[in-house]
Amino acid sequence: MGTKFTKTICPYCGTGCGLIIKVEDGVAVATYPDSEHPVSRGSLCIKGWSAHEFIHHPDRLTSPLLRKGDAFQEIPWDEAIPMAAGKLRETAAKYGGDAVCGLSSAKCTNEENYLFQKLMRMAFKTNNVDHCARLCHAPTTVAMAQTLGSGAMTNSISDLAGADCILVIGSNTAESHPVIMGEIYKAIDGGATLIVVDPRKTAVVQNAKIHLPINPGTDIPLLCGMMKHIIDEGLYDKDFVKARMEGFEELNEFISAWTVEKASGECGINPELIKLVAETYAKAKESAIVYCMGITQHACGTANVLAICDLAMLCGHVGKEYSGIYPLRGQNNVQGACDMGALPNVYPGYQSVSDPAIRDKFQKAWGVELSDKPGLTVTEIIGSAGKDTRTVYIMAENPALSDPDVNHVLESLKALDFLIVHDIFLTETAKFAHLVFPGTCFAEKSGTFTNTERRFQLLRKAVDPPGNAKEDFTILCLLGSALGLDFSYNHPGEVMEEIASLTPAYGGIRFDRLERGGLQWPCPDSDHPGTQYLHKDRFTRGRGLFVIPEHTPPKELPDDDYPYYLSTGRMFAHYHTGTMTRRSPFLNREAEKAYAEINPEDAIHLDVKDGEKIKITTRRGSIITTARITKRVSKGCIFAPFHFTEARANMLTNPVLDPLSKIPEFKVCAANVKKESQDD
Amino acid sequence: MLEKTKDIAKQILEEKKAGGIFGLMRNRWNVVQPHMFEDPAELDALVLEPKWLLAKLAMSILRSSPENYKLAVVCRGCDERALIELIKRNQIEKERILTIGIACSQEQAAICLCDRPYPAKLDAGKKVSGVDPFQDERVREFLIGNDKKRMEKWATVLKRCIKCYGCRNSCPICVCEPCKLEDDIWVQRGAVPAEMITFHLIRAFHLSDTCVACGACQEACPVNIPLLYLQLSMRETLKEKYGYEAGLNPEVKSPILSVVFEEPDTDREYPAWINSLREKDGY
Repeated sequence: MGTKFTKTICPYCGTGCGLIIKVEDGVAVATYPDSEHPVSRGSLCIKGWSAHEFIHHPDRLTSPLLRKGDAFQEIPWDEAIPMAAGKLRETAAKYGGDAVCGLSSAKCTNEENYLFQKLMRMAFKTNNVDHCARLCHAPTTVAMAQTLGSGAMTNSISDLAGADCILVIGSNTAESHPVIMGEIYKAIDGGATLIVVDPRKTAVVQNAKIHLPINPGTDIPLLCGMMKHIIDEGLYDKDFVKARMEGFEELNEFISAWTVEKASGECGINPELIKLVAETYAKAKESAIVYCMGITQHACGTANVLAICDLAMLCGHVGKEYSGIYPLRGQNNVQGACDMGALPNVYPGYQSVSDPAIRDKFQKAWGVELSDKPGLTVTEIIGSAGKDTRTVYIMAENPALSDPDVNHVLESLKALDFLIVHDIFLTETAKFAHLVFPGTCFAEKSGTFTNTERRFQLLRKAVDPPGNAKEDFTILCLLGSALGLDFSYNHPGEVMEEIASLTPAYGGIRFDRLERGGLQWPCPDSDHPGTQYLHKDRFTRGRGLFVIPEHTPPKELPDDDYPYYLSTGRMFAHYHTGTMTRRSPFLNREAEKAYAEINPEDAIHLDVKDGEKIKITTRRGSIITTARITKRVSKGCIFAPFHFTEARANMLTNPVLDPLSKIPEFKVCAANVKKESQDD
Repeated sequence: MLEKTKDIAKQILEEKKAGGIFGLMRNRWNVVQPHMFEDPAELDALVLEPKWLLAKLAMSILRSSPENYKLAVVCRGCDERALIELIKRNQIEKERILTIGIACSQEQAAICLCDRPYPAKLDAGKKVSGVDPFQDERVREFLIGNDKKRMEKWATVLKRCIKCYGCRNSCPICVCEPCKLEDDIWVQRGAVPAEMITFHLIRAFHLSDTCVACGACQEACPVNIPLLYLQLSMRETLKEKYGYEAGLNPEVKSPILSVVFEEPDTDREYPAWINSLREKDGY
């Protein structure tokens, strides 16, 4: 009998649920929930239950591929690795190390991300390494580092169940982080008030006590109006502000202009309702703020997060159990990819590349000279392709679907001298590669993922990689060695020991300590039990800092030519660019084709019936998709999930960036909609 | 209880009465998970806690193993009853399954609201008395009293459904192929929450005479819908009106099935497992 069960971690969102994969004769045949898992406790969402479905898909890449004209040819590893190393070296020699860029991956393990950034930094003396956190929580990292000193979720997922008031802003938790939504319901059953700020009437809204359907991109007016009322009524935590904060005078002066009436005028919410919400949040014993892409994916994303931090700190709802700030991370290991320094300005543990003492530490440990110049971000790498950027190595990212203004992305990918893509399927991005490495999925390797509550968790290998595909860890070691680096690691656990030695906050993380339930960082030494919530008694930066959140409206608002607001996001059965979920039969049957949500009144006006084709056009391009008529979106708003390659919502999105975090404004742009002739 | 279970398991393997023992294993890091014990030397790692329902997994192991492979399952009362229901419905062959019955603790019975926290074939442990679920305050709020209030309560919790299908996937007795929830009549694709009436009540009614009240559906629900309560009234009615309880006696058929089979043939389509009974039992 060849039946075995392997405990591991879900490859989808940042909740980090526990899975048990059933393996029969080397084939993953089913997924079950892990009854002992500290976060998911025996439950899973639809994606978790289906996590085995794409593993053995016939589309999996099984050999390195080399481009020959318009086609790919299979080549052996002993040709592929030297070729990649040669091309990367050639570019560095000809144009300098900064002409080489790497996109690391929030889908890969901590150890792989660590090796990836180490490889880029050591081999090419460049800091040009980034990943898709740029497109999701870059504003969180920037703003929370500034205000609190640490860019991570302050509390644990289970803390939500003990909150008295939960303010959800721009998060469709019920569809995107379903298992976390369960904790919110526990809080409601215990008497907590759920308040949801979202232009759409999402599944979360349907279960909320109060819904604030603000105008898209007016989070700051709402939050400032709330703060003004809280200060005016003396409801803020004066002791907390006095004992633990700085910058209150400046904030107060700024906020004084944001009367509730002015805020109401901007965000479209009744002033009395703003006051009620402000009072509810401030007066509750334990208040939590949960937010996601609805906050960050704006040209004022960083300021949005600042406003959230200011509100929480003003009311003293940070630094204790059951309250806090909960940025929900989207990818299984986006927290980890950031933690491991797959970012252009920091080494692992958010240690700045510009700080001479820190750089010196890494130079000594790695035995090479390192660059002090912060590198390029995802959006800047794409923007400079074919100019300053000549050769790019992309590990398990799919910018051809995930980045804004996809038409421009495709042009950029074509303009590169050499593109190496390392993935499990021939993605839309890999199709543009010169060289493709077949990598491994979550079930085929060991290592660690870090979930949204800073929990390092052990990933356990259940099945072998397909064909000649290699573990990503092995590929990175081979490539590093071919580039002349000492990458002679035998096991990911050795990499974790190196990470721990260089990063105080992860100093106590070792594989054997993660076996049961994982560990939440900071975990500085081998006896430390991990940290359930941050900023107790003292903020990571010392005193908390109020930072002024300047409001800037969305860069592109509806006008006569483009009269609709367009917003993009996820739906419950699919995940990001659909590479895995659209190849999972049970998930794909929920939504087999692209669609966009449109309000019934608009549908009447456009003479469109449910299921008919519509054409959505913006200043960047247009897509033809299927209308789904629903009151979930309000009149004048369109919502398009971005999972579908045949109608890429990111053909439409605006690539304008938040100046501080460089996140694009995915959540708002102006669009036009027309009924598409049904003949074709 | 644990030592006795290990002894029985060891004997089964040594005497080759079954090819494997299916139970829970605890490794040196104190991590517990379901495991197939095929080597007696491994049995040191066998544990009985926490409550982890194994009947559905056991069925899937039997289905993918050779026809002459026999499996012994370490099971609590609910798991035993689920296995009996699966045998009754021709999902597993009686000859291929052995049980090592263990008793639940009083605490576990209280958590599960279990009225029979022990298997009929008890091999290890001591019986504790069952709990009457209808004395539980929360159950009463959902099942007894003012209709309008109860309806509101149900609407509140069912509206939370995130359509993970975990209730169906985890249920040991949910075996229909194709599943009614996937036939595009009752449940709309691509939408959450799942329809309150069609999704949840179809699922509940499909199990009305076969639910063993193991609570797997409720334990798997990420949003804590008290799905077990949906079954309690139906179980109670069958007990009261027909003296019938699912999973107790392999020889006694469900009163609903006898009604279906005694009706004149109406060209209706039945799930494959019902048709398999027609063939086997000559209905």
